[in-house]
Amino acid sequence: MDFILLVMNSFGLLLDPLNLAYVVLGFVIGTIFAAIPGLTATLAMALLLPLTYTLNVETALMACASIYMAGMCGGSITATTINIPGAPSSMMTALDGYPMQQQGKGALALGHAAIGSMFGGAVGALLLIAVAPFVAELSLLVKTTGKFSLLAFALIVVVIAQRGRIPQAGLAACIGLMLATVGLDAMEPVTRFTFGNANLTAGVDLMPVIIGTFAIAEILVQARTPSDTTAATAAAGKHKLRRRDFIPPWSDIRRIGFRCYFKSCLIGYFVGTLPGAGGSMGSFLAYTEAVRTSPEPETFGKGNPQGIAASESANNAVCGGAMVPMLTFGIPGDPITAIMLGVLVINGIQPGPQLMSDQAGLIAPMLAALLFSAVVLIPLTLYAIGPYFIRIVSIRKDVLYAVIALLAVVGSYVATYSTFQMFMALGMGVLAFVLRRNGFPVITMLLGYILGPNLEEFLRRSLSLSNGNPMTFLTNPDSLFFVLLTLVFVYFLVIRKPSARAGAAPGL
Amino acid sequence: MFSNRQLIFPTAMLALSVGYLVSALSLGTPIAESGLTPSFFPMLVGAAAILFSSLLILQQLRAPEAPDRPRDAPGHAHLWIVLAIFLYILAFRTLGYLVSSTAFVFALIVLFSSFEKPAQKALIALVVVGLGYVMFQHLFGVRLPTPWG
Repeated sequence: MDFILLVMNSFGLLLDPLNLAYVVLGFVIGTIFAAIPGLTATLAMALLLPLTYTLNVETALMACASIYMAGMCGGSITATTINIPGAPSSMMTALDGYPMQQQGKGALALGHAAIGSMFGGAVGALLLIAVAPFVAELSLLVKTTGKFSLLAFALIVVVIAQRGRIPQAGLAACIGLMLATVGLDAMEPVTRFTFGNANLTAGVDLMPVIIGTFAIAEILVQARTPSDTTAATAAAGKHKLRRRDFIPPWSDIRRIGFRCYFKSCLIGYFVGTLPGAGGSMGSFLAYTEAVRTSPEPETFGKGNPQGIAASESANNAVCGGAMVPMLTFGIPGDPITAIMLGVLVINGIQPGPQLMSDQAGLIAPMLAALLFSAVVLIPLTLYAIGPYFIRIVSIRKDVLYAVIALLAVVGSYVATYSTFQMFMALGMGVLAFVLRRNGFPVITMLLGYILGPNLEEFLRRSLSLSNGNPMTFLTNPDSLFFVLLTLVFVYFLVIRKPSARAGAAPGL
Repeated sequence: MFSNRQLIFPTAMLALSVGYLVSALSLGTPIAESGLTPSFFPMLVGAAAILFSSLLILQQLRAPEAPDRPRDAPGHAHLWIVLAIFLYILAFRTLGYLVSSTAFVFALIVLFSSFEKPAQKALIALVVVGLGYVMFQHLFGVRLPTPWG
């Protein structure tokens, strides 16, 4: 209850013009990046990461929350208008959004997408605010062996969720773990894999890893990908959108039904809590459920607003869900929460059970901003800049990528005023580019890198406490729970091999 | 065997994994009287990486035909971009933010488009770098390098 009151008080911070400006700016940038195919809100957040050094932590986290929310709903813009999802999580939105656009109801489809996003984002954020303190208390019950099994569970699930390319995902995770072992050992004064380079003694810094993996690699990928904005440019001139057309009639919303909205939100929220699942799986499952329970399933894929509502409610509810394991256990569920974790770590905040009790005042404004973005900024952005949405995709790509490259390279300099970090960012960018070109999911590499230090520490501590007996992982109830949970996931994702394929986005 | 281009990357990964494991072994024995040593976890990771690399090589050997990759844009723009970033980092401290960044942004715009209208592109580069300067130096208080130190 205290935490809920704290979040409510944090809305006051949004009255500060500087905080509000960063939240609104974050939302607009997130929307633009999510709307442009090839760019993602993850990239926007990676570019923002260096700037968090100069902002106070509450403001930085509030801006991150609004980028996250914008990233989930912004993808629906191009999914609807030109049938190219701006973000992987909007794949299912395109199935009904684009047919509506072809029927001359594009603005209405965007309106339904916004209402679904608003509902999903709000329910996800409210559930997060209500549930996170309890999960944090429960997580205090997890001891050292249980923590190792939990981290191992998260990493294994992220790997096996990449169905069809598990060896690639496993190897990418190992590369991340290798990076995590560079530098001074956490328990003994021994340096590892530094090869005499003093710059590596403190380990591979998070900043160049994130900037390289998400910004520089993306620029290199875009340089190799044929860019075709013909459809977008043609659509920009063809369709004139008016503000009043964005508001769906009440009868449409009643036809979709609050049951559909709410069920999709719950699906999205719970999918979000799973490591590696993400918005695309949430929207896929919610869409499938909407088709299954609909009295007229044949209308889906032909412009049924219920499909848009289910997909967008679910992918925005994922935002709230994905933050639960990130805040309470320090386990990010997707690339964006991984970067948010980076913002916390950079500012000396250690996610985990103590966070919600000791530093709740720093987290509460972020959750308030998440709710604010869902309830206020989504509809406001649609109304204010909706008619210009389609023009976003016709932004000059040459200038855009040059700006991104400048922000990425200079951004990696900002943290330490060291050109070594800039070279590290370039090296990580080239590595991530090569991995992506060869079908390796770089999110597993990032999670391996982020979870690696704790994974090693808890493994060594657990085995030291048990005099080297590995059975300790089966005899401790908290650890046994996560071992069994891992086996359940392995059974369902690897052994049973479901026919439906909904996984993380290719390339990430 | 090595004529298959699909095998090059997994083989390189296998070599990397073996190199990592050998380096881990050089850190000393994995288990001591006091418990696990700093070499234990890297050995585990190295062994797992070798396992996954081997699985990948086996997968490629069993695959009947290499899957078609999406068509790439012609040229080697990505290699030029890597070179541009490398040179930019080298020049960043020596030439300072303004000069090195203007040349870098201009080069990137040309690489992502063409060499047509160079004056217009140079002007855009100047504007972008100027806005970047205001943002980093004045808005966020970052001390950017200048040629005079």
